[in-house]
Amino acid sequence: MIDEDALKGVMAAVLRVPATEIGPEASTDTLPSWDSLRHMNLILALEQEFGVSIPDEDAANLSSYALIKLVLNELTAD
Amino acid sequence: MTPAPGVNSVADGMGILADPAASLASLMGAVEDVEAHAVLPFAAHVGVSAGASVDLLSLFLRRHALQSGVRLRVTMGNFDDPLGDIARFTEAGVDVLVLAPLFDTLEPAFEARAGMMAEADLAAREAEMRGRWRLVLNAASGFRQVVLCDFHRITASVPGGDRTDVVLDRFNQALAQEAAAFANVRRLDMSAIIAEVGRPSAFDLRFYLRSTAPYSPALLNVLGRQVAAASRAYGSRFHKALVLDCDNTLWGGILGEDLAEGVRISPFDYPGNVFWRAQTEFVALQRQGVLLCLCSKNDADAVDALLDTHPDMVLKSSDVIVKQVNWDDKVGNLRLIAHTLNIGLDSLVFVDDSAFECEAVRSQIPEVTVFQVPSNPAEYLSVIAKIKDLFLAAGGGNDDVDKTQQYRQRAAALESVAAFGSHEDYLISLDLTVTISRDDPGRAARISQLSQKSNQFNLTTLRYTPEDIARLMNDPATTVYALDVADRFGPAGTTGVVVVRRDAQVATIESLLMSCRVLGRGIEQSLWATIAEDALAEGCVLLRGVYRPTPKNGQAADFYDRLGLTPRGDAGSGQVYDTALAAFIPPSTPWIKVLHD
Repeated sequence: MIDEDALKGVMAAVLRVPATEIGPEASTDTLPSWDSLRHMNLILALEQEFGVSIPDEDAANLSSYALIKLVLNELTAD
Repeated sequence: MTPAPGVNSVADGMGILADPAASLASLMGAVEDVEAHAVLPFAAHVGVSAGASVDLLSLFLRRHALQSGVRLRVTMGNFDDPLGDIARFTEAGVDVLVLAPLFDTLEPAFEARAGMMAEADLAAREAEMRGRWRLVLNAASGFRQVVLCDFHRITASVPGGDRTDVVLDRFNQALAQEAAAFANVRRLDMSAIIAEVGRPSAFDLRFYLRSTAPYSPALLNVLGRQVAAASRAYGSRFHKALVLDCDNTLWGGILGEDLAEGVRISPFDYPGNVFWRAQTEFVALQRQGVLLCLCSKNDADAVDALLDTHPDMVLKSSDVIVKQVNWDDKVGNLRLIAHTLNIGLDSLVFVDDSAFECEAVRSQIPEVTVFQVPSNPAEYLSVIAKIKDLFLAAGGGNDDVDKTQQYRQRAAALESVAAFGSHEDYLISLDLTVTISRDDPGRAARISQLSQKSNQFNLTTLRYTPEDIARLMNDPATTVYALDVADRFGPAGTTGVVVVRRDAQVATIESLLMSCRVLGRGIEQSLWATIAEDALAEGCVLLRGVYRPTPKNGQAADFYDRLGLTPRGDAGSGQVYDTALAAFIPPSTPWIKVLHD
């Protein structure tokens, strides 16, 4: 399982919101700063932080905390 | 661990900015924290106009600016619209312009196409590119500095080079010739930057193919650093003089102890060869306009004698403009040198092997840029490379002047090839055709896709599914217009959409959007005769437009004002405009041939 604090930290830093605002319900709908530009930055920052390569078909669709967590857990599973 | 935003002190933030291994997320936080809290002596505003999506470049431009003590405001332009960007940047007060055209999008997949195009087509494309960039650089001549990234490849070449390499070189030469006519333009060698990063690490093809964002963070980081260097940290510094210590800086050993016979400066022995090479580099800098000075605790006559009589000395005492060779302290000597030359202390670069002297200068005159000669001679050459960067990265040397002259002459000889007197002349040369279709079900999918993707020139930013579009096409109260744009180089496909809704003699523009690929050509002006005629034919008397602001569509904010519609205030959903159709005069676009499908 991924370190959710690290995930929240990356999302908070990239989306410029306090880490306390990042929770299981966070999504492009709940965070106005999560626009398409920041989304690309977020994918890049997540790939770097977790040492994974997020497949293209997933990258565009990771529009919520829950989906990101799911995909990162899949990618980091041994 | 990534720190939460807002927790970095300025010192911590600067530490992250200087850390080559800093994560993207921590950089994003650190840049904003340092900008929010640091006292920075210098501010600049840079505008970036690129043929690709390079939004992340902003982060790295700011990172490297902050490291030079510059607070940088970055304004990103639209996709491949340098002329439009320049107009907007000028209004916004931009000082430094970064132009980053993309070779591969000169035509779709141009890197592949270049290999199969006939010479006549290539020549036509080259002439168009030249003409376009001449206009752009001319329009940019008011900026303090323009950093022009040259063309580069995204795909790898084959060993020994291929035809695309040949075309790339040719286009870069053409671009260089155009750039040479403008004193405020510095070119950046993108292929060298890509080589530094390593091609496999320089690009991210996923984002390139999906959203024309080809560059990796690693590449954008180096680009951000190079832009800072090429603009002399956004004009915040201008180094003029190189002040050199002597012992263990110009030669190995100590003159007072080793005497003339004992100093190491032979080009054929280590470590003499390192110092010999160093002297050669310093003299080369002098030939390129750098003022060389000596600042050494030594016997002045002995130093002069050594420089002028030792057979291996490259640097002669006549190459040196000011010598402070004495036993006084170096801080005072540096002040004297600056005073003698009548230049600022911040124009001095000081090189010394002594940690003590370097620290004394750093702490007492922080304006001076200080380099310490490493104790391992082999490492000296990389320090010299940095010194050269400082003086030469932004150009201005004599060699550069000669080259500029050459380029100017060549550019003048080629004047007739692609000279456009105005933007309109250029547009006329493109043979633009706009084909307007009404309610064509075959285009529903593409129209839906455009409505989903277009952000910048999109007046209401309504997103439609293909089914929505099909429904609107069948609805007698609405008309869906699609605009197909073509120029003499070929079709650009469906790149514009208008949805008109008619209700009780009022024709409302429910949607108006253009792909950013065709902006700056007046396409959005060319369709109003058709819209107005159709509305009149349907019995409408009033034409109404709505502008709904979003974070992305600021450039369209005054579109209806410019079209001549009257603002009627904010109706909650956006700014409403209208005009009586009888009084409406569609804008004239003589450079566009409008056809109807």
